[in-house]
Amino acid sequence: MSLLGADYRRDLEIHRYPVLVYALVPLTALVLQAWLPRLLGRYAFFDLPLVVTVYFALGRRSPIQGTIMGAAMGLFEDALTHHAIGVNGIAKTCVGFIAASVGVRIDVDNHTIRLLLNFLLSLLSSVLFIFIYRVLLGLELEWLWFTELFRAIGNSVIALVLFPLLDRLQIRD
Amino acid sequence: MESFFTRYRNPLVLLAILLAQIIGLAMQVHQTAAGRTLDPSDSSSVRLIRLWAEMLVSPPERAIHFSKTGAGSLWQNYLDLRHVRQQNQDLQRTIDRLRLEQAALLQDALQGQRLQALLGFQQKYIYQTLPAQIIGSSGSDQSRVFYIDKGSADGLQHDMAVITADGIVGKVRDVFPHTAQVLAINDPTSGAGVILETTRVRGILRGNAYGQLEIVDVMADQRIKPGENVLTAGGDQVYPRGLPVGTVQKIVPDPDRDSFIDVLIKPAAALDRLDEVLVITSTQPRFSPQDQQDIATSQALKGAEAAAAQDQQKATQGMNDRLPGLLDPSLPPEQQPLYDTSNPNPVAHPPMPLHPDRFTPGTSPNTGAGDASTPEAAGSASQPSQPDKSGLGKPDR
Repeated sequence: MSLLGADYRRDLEIHRYPVLVYALVPLTALVLQAWLPRLLGRYAFFDLPLVVTVYFALGRRSPIQGTIMGAAMGLFEDALTHHAIGVNGIAKTCVGFIAASVGVRIDVDNHTIRLLLNFLLSLLSSVLFIFIYRVLLGLELEWLWFTELFRAIGNSVIALVLFPLLDRLQIRD
Repeated sequence: MESFFTRYRNPLVLLAILLAQIIGLAMQVHQTAAGRTLDPSDSSSVRLIRLWAEMLVSPPERAIHFSKTGAGSLWQNYLDLRHVRQQNQDLQRTIDRLRLEQAALLQDALQGQRLQALLGFQQKYIYQTLPAQIIGSSGSDQSRVFYIDKGSADGLQHDMAVITADGIVGKVRDVFPHTAQVLAINDPTSGAGVILETTRVRGILRGNAYGQLEIVDVMADQRIKPGENVLTAGGDQVYPRGLPVGTVQKIVPDPDRDSFIDVLIKPAAALDRLDEVLVITSTQPRFSPQDQQDIATSQALKGAEAAAAQDQQKATQGMNDRLPGLLDPSLPPEQQPLYDTSNPNPVAHPPMPLHPDRFTPGTSPNTGAGDASTPEAAGSASQPSQPDKSGLGKPDR
């Protein structure tokens, strides 16, 4: 009975969205990520697909869905670059899985937790990307630590604004 | 068994997806003599994934781009019309000046072509270009590529050079039916053969982590100074020779090797603010029909004027070569030999006679007041001991 109660409570906390939101929000994130750097130039310190991955993983609280969402977003991002396909894919797969696993255990509607999670998961994504590229593949990659830090801060700020907006698209009983 | 999969469903799915991606990555990397490298030409499956991603992202990007340029152009057109008369006059003057310069340089260009033909060297000229608009980027600062709205349907192919009127921009890396991916010259994986205009030092241009351009593998050379122009060398089979790349901004020592330097370059093309580019679709060892038409027009309109100016310049040069110059152009005014009074060995003036005689002008014993009024006599009488500044003293007879 107690188990049923816990599942029931968890089911209530799972965020649900219209199907169109699942399709359009990630696509919009991918398009804006490809288009906005043209306007902002070198100051484009953000990763919108990562923010969206974290949002849906935290909201859905399903590690499998978070994993699949992260893998899809990462692979699409890789496909738009001239790098090997799969580097971002692996990094965001891990991020999606971890975000969803964390989301099961904590209150994901708290803004401070959201901000902190986005910052840490962004740094984790950068570390995984560099590790895969330089260690796993053994390829040369020049990177700057402060760029990764600024990107993590940028992602956190965007999440602070974007998450409440996306919350409005939830299906409420 | 069923309970095992149910219980560990989440980590198993994670492992499966990670494993699939790791295998996919391993298939894209190759071991070569130089180390591990990424396959420069994508396999068919990788290319398919890139094509899907491009097909998904490209239409919204196009829509955003053209709606933005459409709305912007309405206002821009209105602003442009306000100054169009003045701009037209300015442009006309510029065209006249350029036509004159083109006509003047035509003979040199033709002579250069003849000499190159004699040496068996073929200079490639830009024969045909295709304008294209930039519609998107990779979205990652680790990958400095961008997408243009022209593809294989428009005749684009791999490794075609992409330029602007200011300088080179990059090369076509991947071609899709209606779009193409361009690798910018400031990406760390790009490369172009370049030459410094004055010192003729050659090197390889590439980008660094900051998105700056740098020439690497250059031996330390004191002659390389900031401000020197950098041009394409033409040996990389991508960029035609002589296209502007940028100017030398800074020279820093190579952190890894002594006696080598890295030359930082300020790009001639605004790589961060590109909207429209030209793709060089064809190079030929001759001028394009459009170039030939321009040259013929310039020759017809300004040929006589340019020839007259050239003749005048040659005549002036000939005179300068034949006549000794009183002024040395390489010296500042205060050091010119003409004004130099510190010469320790001036030309000696003939010594004055000990006794007046009738042979030396101005010293005749019979010289009267009338004789003294002559310039020679007056000069000798008034300045007997002054050396002749012209250095041309009259000999004694």
